[in-house]
Amino acid sequence: MIVRSLRWRLLIAGGIAIFLALVVAWALMMLLFERHLERRVAAELEQDAIRVVAGIAIAPDGRFSIDEPPADARFQTPLGGLYWQATWRGQARRSPSLWDQALPPPPSAPAASEWRTRIAPGPFEQRLIYLERMVVPERGGAPVLVQVAQDAAVIDAAGREFGRELALFLALLWLFLAAAAWLQVHLGLRPLRQIPGLLAQLEQSPSARLPDDGASEVRPLVGAINRLAEAREQDLERARRRATDLAHGLKTPIAAAAAQLRRAGDDADHVAGVEKALAAMKRVVDAELARSRVAAAGRAAGRADCLATVERLVAVLERTEAGERLVLDVEISPGLIAPLAEEDLTEALGGIAENAVRYARRRVVFGGAREDSSVRLWVEDDGPGIDRAQMARALERGLRLDESGGQGLGLAIARDLAEATGGSLSLSRAALGGLRVELGWSA
Amino acid sequence: MRAMVVEDEPDVAEDLRRALEAAGFVVDVSGDGRDAWFQGDVEDYDVAVLDLGLPQLDGLSVLKRWRAAGRQLPVIILSARGDWTERVEGIEAGADDYLPKPFKMAELIARVRGLVRRASGRPSNVITVGQLRVDSARMTVELAGVPLRLSPLEFRLIDYLAHQNGRAVSTGELADHLYGAESASDANAIEALVARLRRKHGAGLIATRRGFGYVLEGAA
Repeated sequence: MIVRSLRWRLLIAGGIAIFLALVVAWALMMLLFERHLERRVAAELEQDAIRVVAGIAIAPDGRFSIDEPPADARFQTPLGGLYWQATWRGQARRSPSLWDQALPPPPSAPAASEWRTRIAPGPFEQRLIYLERMVVPERGGAPVLVQVAQDAAVIDAAGREFGRELALFLALLWLFLAAAAWLQVHLGLRPLRQIPGLLAQLEQSPSARLPDDGASEVRPLVGAINRLAEAREQDLERARRRATDLAHGLKTPIAAAAAQLRRAGDDADHVAGVEKALAAMKRVVDAELARSRVAAAGRAAGRADCLATVERLVAVLERTEAGERLVLDVEISPGLIAPLAEEDLTEALGGIAENAVRYARRRVVFGGAREDSSVRLWVEDDGPGIDRAQMARALERGLRLDESGGQGLGLAIARDLAEATGGSLSLSRAALGGLRVELGWSA
Repeated sequence: MRAMVVEDEPDVAEDLRRALEAAGFVVDVSGDGRDAWFQGDVEDYDVAVLDLGLPQLDGLSVLKRWRAAGRQLPVIILSARGDWTERVEGIEAGADDYLPKPFKMAELIARVRGLVRRASGRPSNVITVGQLRVDSARMTVELAGVPLRLSPLEFRLIDYLAHQNGRAVSTGELADHLYGAESASDANAIEALVARLRRKHGAGLIATRRGFGYVLEGAA
């Protein structure tokens, strides 16, 4: 089975590794605990063994006895679990607990200098812990084998109990460590989870980039994505430039075709047909150019001096057929700056102004002011104005190509330019009576 | 009348040549900017039709060089781009008119005729008021020797005031003159026009005689 989730892979691997480590720890701790118990038991047995050694008495007649043997009640009770036995020259003295049995002799004789511990089967089918030593009661005499033994069941029971409790504790520890591993994976993978959100921003704006301040492991990935975004933006830019070049390139041939047509044409129907086709081509080209301008405006921030831009525009409008009979009034506070490139502001206002000049009777007013933190620019005319339904239509026409004449394109381009630079365009009734078109950017 | 056509697309150039010849001009055609600059500098033309996208030297540069050399021939710009920025640049570079491509030939001819008529008026009809010099034929106004950029409407207002020999003219009379018979309620437009002129060229240009109307003062 292939686990697809990175998190589950890490968690499963972590859980298994922790489990194995805890099992090994359990086994080692059990071993240590048993050895510790054995040593404790041996230390206790040694107290009894010393009592036995101290009680060794060998009469001059060769009678061997143990005086004052260990007093623990278990030595007195048959099968009591505690046994002692001393053997000298074939004579053996035993604790009453041994009853009619004897402790088996050790497979090898223990040393005379120190106590030896071993575990071996004993009488009554009990497993016993033996403490054994050879004792030499008098110089040059025969040694006495002293054996003290205890039923190992006590140790086994303690060991089992300890093992159970330890296992329980380790299981809890495993749960805790597994939770910690989950948390670790969760936190560790967080930079990865943030990437889709950041990529969504990238999708919206080609000029956006991922922040390069994340974890060092994620940074190469972020760098690669940013390089990809860079390449994409350049591709887009190239495509746009090509579209623009194409559109510009088409304009002169269209004019040339129109010129040819004028010279050639006697067949009025055909001429009118081709002229219509040429006009349609021109609209396509104009719309494409407007679109590329709007796209470019959204990518770069700018600062346009509103008053200077409007004055330059007014100088042009005054020379147009429609504009030369009008009073073009400019009421813009000096130093007013709009947040877009001057060229784009010129295009936006040009489109609005062309419209205003076309419908105005006597006057067009260009106004502009800073209100709180926002910049407002407006164009008013004293023409007939338009009603609410027409206002909605004037804007929705947009950059669609199938509309005739390209009128209204100016307002739609202005709106698109304003929106591409974070602003807005609104239509209302002018104080002069005509249409008021207002551009606004809130800082 | 001599006209110069600067256009690198042969079909369009030929079309322009025929139309201008039909309108009574003697036409020279130039196909690139460097040649056009030279021709316009050494020959005397009455009007030039200038395309902006030219090989060798672009149209705006040609126009700027002509103006820098003091050539005052009227120039109408033709352009494929047709955006406002280019229009503004063209007018600032010294063009007298601008026509985006593709254009209607009749409109071009009408505009060329208008430019020529304006420029060829004899400079005899000059009125001086204060530091103001109003040339009715050429439709130019200078204030203290500096030419003022005026819209046609602004020119007509100043021209009319200049012809009154210091008589105060009411807004109603001005509206009558500027807008003709249907001017009943255009006093506001006249006031706005005067306000704009004062703002652009100084408050001393036109004085107000309270109760009578406006008088041309001509102070710089």
